[in-house]
Amino acid sequence: MSVAGYRIRLRRRTTLPGWEAALISILAVVVGLVLFSLIFVLAGVDPVAAYKNIFSYAYTNKYGLTLTLNRFVFLAFATLAFIVPYRAGLWNIGMTGQLYMGTLAAYAVVYAMGGKTSPKVPLNPYVVIPLMVMAAAAGGGLMGAIPGFLKGKLNVNEIVTTMMLNFVAFWWVAQMIKEGGPFMNPQGRGESFVLPYAAYAPVITSLGVPFTLILALVLAIGLDFVFARTKIGYQIRAFGRNPLAARYAGIDPFRIAVLVFVVGGAMAGLAGYHYFAAVPGVYKIARNYSYFGDLAFYGIICGLISQGSAIAALPVALLFGGLSVGGRFMQGKFHMKFGVDYALLGVLMITLVAFQFFYRYEVTLEKEEESLHVAVHR
Amino acid sequence: MWQFIVRSLEAATIFTLAGQGELVDQRAGVLNVGIEGVMLFGATLGFIAAKETGSYLVGFTVAILIGALLGLLHGFFSITLGVDQVVSGMGIWIAGFGLTTYIGSAYTGPLNMERLPTIGGLSIFVYIAIAVTVILWFVLFRTSLGLAIRSVGENPSVAEVSGINVQRVRYACTIFGSAMAGFAGGVYALSYNPVWNYNFIMGWGFIALALVFFSMWNPLFLFGGAVLFGLLWQISLNPQLVLPGLMSRYMWRTVPFLVTILVLVLISTEWFRTRWGAAKPEALGTPYFKE
Repeated sequence: MSVAGYRIRLRRRTTLPGWEAALISILAVVVGLVLFSLIFVLAGVDPVAAYKNIFSYAYTNKYGLTLTLNRFVFLAFATLAFIVPYRAGLWNIGMTGQLYMGTLAAYAVVYAMGGKTSPKVPLNPYVVIPLMVMAAAAGGGLMGAIPGFLKGKLNVNEIVTTMMLNFVAFWWVAQMIKEGGPFMNPQGRGESFVLPYAAYAPVITSLGVPFTLILALVLAIGLDFVFARTKIGYQIRAFGRNPLAARYAGIDPFRIAVLVFVVGGAMAGLAGYHYFAAVPGVYKIARNYSYFGDLAFYGIICGLISQGSAIAALPVALLFGGLSVGGRFMQGKFHMKFGVDYALLGVLMITLVAFQFFYRYEVTLEKEEESLHVAVHR
Repeated sequence: MWQFIVRSLEAATIFTLAGQGELVDQRAGVLNVGIEGVMLFGATLGFIAAKETGSYLVGFTVAILIGALLGLLHGFFSITLGVDQVVSGMGIWIAGFGLTTYIGSAYTGPLNMERLPTIGGLSIFVYIAIAVTVILWFVLFRTSLGLAIRSVGENPSVAEVSGINVQRVRYACTIFGSAMAGFAGGVYALSYNPVWNYNFIMGWGFIALALVFFSMWNPLFLFGGAVLFGLLWQISLNPQLVLPGLMSRYMWRTVPFLVTILVLVLISTEWFRTRWGAAKPEALGTPYFKE
């Protein structure tokens, strides 16, 4: 194709250098945000003022920053939950169900230790908190094991199974916290009992963020190391690139599928622990728990933008955490309709899909005379 | 009890319409995992259009058109640009989920329009769904157009050599499939459950997707599966009619989703595969470029 004396060439990429992938991702986010400003224009809000408000609230306001950081931790876990299976070429869109299961498992620990009766139950925090964290990871991992097992054993489509399990887990939470369920609040408000003081997670007081922040950072770095440097990490990547070739090379597809889904599910379980059991001021499964379930879908888009890199996922999650917090703030301040943060999710996602093209093809512009010139010289 | 059957059939209608569209799409080799998003768009925009104009006709037209438009988008991404079809479908689902939540929020609540007339006590869409099923079966397996669609899904390069325009057939099927999903969303929002709420399709698009795998890409089997799921869904809402006191109402709500997984497991077993063979379109999910 040629336009105004320039020839546009498309070439299928064989390799994509890291910096170029990063550049495309950044461009995708910028274009997405520009497109999203249409939503503000339609709502009669000046987009420049809107973005100024969003960013200043999310990153410089004291309350906003705490919200952003807490959301960042949540999104980081949700993104890791997506990334680990994604590296093996598998789609985990079940982080919602996995995080519900992780949450229920963590609450089950407290319930079993008699923590439901009163907020002043004397539990040993050095026992109960580690147990809750482990239970959350195990609950999420177990939920992830189902699609992993079915994919590895029978090649059942993991997109459908993970999505179905999201709905199943949603109703399981309702069963546990509503209408006489075991975790129901004694005052009966359709929400769970409040955690006893002893189960409150340690908080980094200067930031207002629980220790899960450190856990998320350590896990991201650890996973990056596993993918880059270890044999199993290499096997996962090889399987993701070409399952058939990997099988010939002696990689067991069943093991890979189960492993990536268990690890992914465990990450989602930790996201559930973080929001429902560790963030200061919450300490219960609220009635609107599905809002946090929905929020976990940001993990898909963070994972796609960071191109499966656990380290790159961190700044992306920080950005999107801030954007969703700021979006909510804008909604209140400018009296916009409910769901600004949902709309942002949608716009960014569709932009990102369009940009997938650039990850796969190289577009170059050449001046037509010049290429002719070269041809003559040869 | 009659009311129960009427509701079940209407639910089955929605699974059928969305599923048949996706079936044609997949027969031509294009996978659209985002029908849930298309249904959300069709349902939400159809609902708003009907409520604003007071006309069902406008509502359904908008639902079908937005479906077709999203099909064109999916076609552009996955046929022309060669983007991974799963990525594109996921994008359409999340875009639908996110954008409709925002767009529809001002319309939360009931439609408040006179109900559509029924024929013999059943919604007119039940008859439409049956007609669509029969017509699609006939077109796919008894006409040259159907042969062209199936060959494009099986082996596009051979189809191209025999004079079929692969790109054009795939575009047509993708747009048709998505328009059907938009229509199914419209039926959901304007007839089956005319109360707007965010994300109110509740996974029906994904169940329809599973039904296509279950049907072994045969419209008649898909209709059968849709009727079973319609019944199952209504039972999960009104368990007291069938098995009172067996489980709490929340546990009943999980049943259709668990059965979906169970069905997928069953059809993936060695036993089932050797008995029924693999009907899956050979080129499903792979982009095709003319050499």
